[in-house]
Amino acid sequence: MTRTNKPLEDLTAQARRLRAHVVRMVASLRVGYLLQGLGAADIFAALYFDELNLDPADPAWPERDRFILSTAHNTALLYATFAERGLIAVEALDTYTRDGSPLEVNASERMGPIVEATCGSLGQGLSVALGMALSLRRRGSAARVYVVLGDGELQEGQVWEAALSAGSHGLDNLCLIIDRNYLQVEGHTDKVVAMDPIDAKFAAFGWAASLIDGNDLGQIIGALDQARRVRGRPSAIIAQTRPGAGVPFLEGQMAHVAFISQEDAARALAHLEPAA
Amino acid sequence: MSRAANVGGQGVEGMGGFKDIRYAEEALSARSYGAALLAAAQADPRIVCLGADLSQPTETAAFRDALPDRFFMMGIQEANMIGAAGGMARSGDIPFCHSFCVFVTRRVYDQVAMQAAYPKLPVKIVGFIPGLATELGVSHQAIDDLSLMRSLPNMAVIEPSGPEQVGAAVAEALAYDGPVYLRLAINWTKGEAMTPLQPFKLGKGLALREGGDVAILAIGGMVAEALAAADLLAARGVSATVVNMASLKPLDAGLVRDLAGRHRLLVTAENHSIIGGLGSAVSEVLADAGAGIRLARIGVQDEFAEGGTTAYLLDKYGLSAPHIAERVAAALRDV
Repeated sequence: MTRTNKPLEDLTAQARRLRAHVVRMVASLRVGYLLQGLGAADIFAALYFDELNLDPADPAWPERDRFILSTAHNTALLYATFAERGLIAVEALDTYTRDGSPLEVNASERMGPIVEATCGSLGQGLSVALGMALSLRRRGSAARVYVVLGDGELQEGQVWEAALSAGSHGLDNLCLIIDRNYLQVEGHTDKVVAMDPIDAKFAAFGWAASLIDGNDLGQIIGALDQARRVRGRPSAIIAQTRPGAGVPFLEGQMAHVAFISQEDAARALAHLEPAA
Repeated sequence: MSRAANVGGQGVEGMGGFKDIRYAEEALSARSYGAALLAAAQADPRIVCLGADLSQPTETAAFRDALPDRFFMMGIQEANMIGAAGGMARSGDIPFCHSFCVFVTRRVYDQVAMQAAYPKLPVKIVGFIPGLATELGVSHQAIDDLSLMRSLPNMAVIEPSGPEQVGAAVAEALAYDGPVYLRLAINWTKGEAMTPLQPFKLGKGLALREGGDVAILAIGGMVAEALAAADLLAARGVSATVVNMASLKPLDAGLVRDLAGRHRLLVTAENHSIIGGLGSAVSEVLADAGAGIRLARIGVQDEFAEGGTTAYLLDKYGLSAPHIAERVAAALRDV
């Protein structure tokens, strides 16, 4: 199992399928994590369909690359990705957030090893990823650890403990992707806590930091390729994403939790799944 | 069964789980925590040691020097240390995390809950300075750590009585396939070489002295105070049973019920708040059983203390042997 080096158009089509699932899942509830799911779909398509070394037939394979979603509420997208990658059944998406379903709003290890850590309590994912990276390095494993944090999550102090620590340990098997969508519950992240420049902060902490358009698959693939080549430092990819990306009439809307009517869902799906 | 299948289970069910647990004989017979951990780690390459700037007081300097590739100095970053330990445990390691009791419990409670307890990982959390035992003052006095850790599903909570029991406690902490909070005193000084070794089993109390009037259930350093109180009481014609309740969770509920059935009074003794720790745990067992026996709870009486020597603090806050004896004598007059 190695990187697929899929053509970009394949990944673009894959991201479109993820977005369609996200619209269907949230529309079935009328409200949910819609905009950030659409916004991060290109990152997830690049990770799960090109970058991550996984074996869907053996999800606990010790040499797999690890992926942690520290913003564990972005699960319409995460579960859609699991389904498209063959890690769960596509039909399971119909149970998203229903009583009794393991597809909870915040992903938990109830789902088994495909969810590598129970996050949702923001700020913890990078520390767990750091521990995995230390452990894998000590064993001489070639597996890498990927973790997605939200930009609002950077307000948590523990993130900066872990950032200092990962830089200090020189963990080049660790790759952080920051989903810079400027969204948090209270509104625009910069109106809550000003955080720029993020890349310079990570660089100052000993990371190889890059700033990319997180809705440009070519840039995402390029940044992940570059991160794999870095030696002696962890990598931070600050990916600027557009909430609602991929659905023109939703792009640029700003709501942590968004409502979507059945009519708007149908319009979105018509755009994402044009008749063949 | 995958680890995830344990998630959301019914909490600590008892003993064991690690089928291939390995620890050297020297670990069992060690009379210091540091020696026990190092011996176990030399027998089991999965054991890793994490520190937060306190190798000397947490007795991990020997581990650092002997097994440097398995020693991780995380700096003054307790939250990150617990999170990283969760990542290591998910990768097949058995991490032991060290700091003072306050900093590996109250300060990092959410991290412990989510990255150790919920996924029932073998993260062993080792705290030093239990209760009122330091000149460092209120910031370093753990009076609620037993309560906090006991409340977490899947978490086992152990406080051995002293050097005589620490090796067995480390072995049991390893044998439990889940998270453990191990509460240890700093700088044990009482004739370590001479003290006979004492066994420890998770979920079991250990009767050290049998009497007929009162049973004193003690934990940690309060076991020595309870034994001294029993001597004081004997001189006054009161016969006391003393039980070492080093396994706070799981608690030896059967033993508590048995003691309630054959004494006039039960007393709990802990260097901890009377809320949430041993006193509460024993109360819960008695109430569940409908036992109509009176219980006196020796401990910190829902207040913050101040820095001082252990002897001074135990006396001032009513935890010393003479206070226990007085409290027992007074309570016995009422029953």
